[in-house]
Amino acid sequence: MSEDTRLPMCAENLHEGMRLGPIYYLVTAEQARAFADAVKAASPDFIPGAHNPEAIVSPTMRLQDYALLIAAHLKGGKGGVHAKHWCEFHEPMRVGQAVKSEGKITATYRKRSKFYFTLEYESRDAATGRLLVRQAITSVLLNEKGEMR
Amino acid sequence: MSAAPGEIRIGAELVSPPYLLDAAAAKAYIEGIEEPPRRRPRGNIHDDNDAARKAGFAAPIAAGEQTIAIVAQFLADRFGMRFMRGGRIEVSLTKPVFYGDTLTSRAKIVSLDADRAGLEIQVDNQRGEQVLTGIAALRLSAA
Repeated sequence: MSEDTRLPMCAENLHEGMRLGPIYYLVTAEQARAFADAVKAASPDFIPGAHNPEAIVSPTMRLQDYALLIAAHLKGGKGGVHAKHWCEFHEPMRVGQAVKSEGKITATYRKRSKFYFTLEYESRDAATGRLLVRQAITSVLLNEKGEMR
Repeated sequence: MSAAPGEIRIGAELVSPPYLLDAAAAKAYIEGIEEPPRRRPRGNIHDDNDAARKAGFAAPIAAGEQTIAIVAQFLADRFGMRFMRGGRIEVSLTKPVFYGDTLTSRAKIVSLDADRAGLEIQVDNQRGEQVLTGIAALRLSAA
């Protein structure tokens, strides 16, 4: 088993310009269906099935990619509290699509004793490079005691 | 399901059906996303009273991503490709969402130009408190 060389997830190890990823995945019908159910999608466009095998997926189904990008480079930590988010939707992801996601820490700062970081990340069709979604999360990092400072 | 161009006018207000974000809804959401192994330490702010209190919350809170997902899906259902291909949201999570809260998404069209519509968006809980506020944009030109 190889050694885990990831850095601990803490304020000292998050730096502006730090690149995270890439990660790759295949958009599955199972996930698209489960997510559409979870958010109570009303439009049948988001429900994969025999009549719609290449369904588009709910807009934020892969918002969680930020966590995969972080986990690829950093380990542990007490988690964080989501403060802000923006998303630009360029082209919908579709079931069966291979996707590449990567990101970069674009800001770290302290405000009222809390440590914030912003991770911008984007997802592209892994085969064509076409941009699908660009987004950014700003989160308050919990310290080793689990506190917001 | 998508709004016709004629419905996209300044002042138009849209309201979603209520969404009960209880433990079952949170579990369904977790099952619909891909998380890294051990992303969430045991006893975290989403499932443990002590961890939530240490972080400054009265009780475990729902993931902010789920509230974002609910309002984004509301816009996607309502506006289809006008949102999914060229749309945008920018939001702040302004209050915690506790399990059992009922969320309602609201959108109001506040600007129009040749290519885009601008919206103010928010999500309220059953007490009328804003838990999310922000802006969104739609593409108006042909795909």
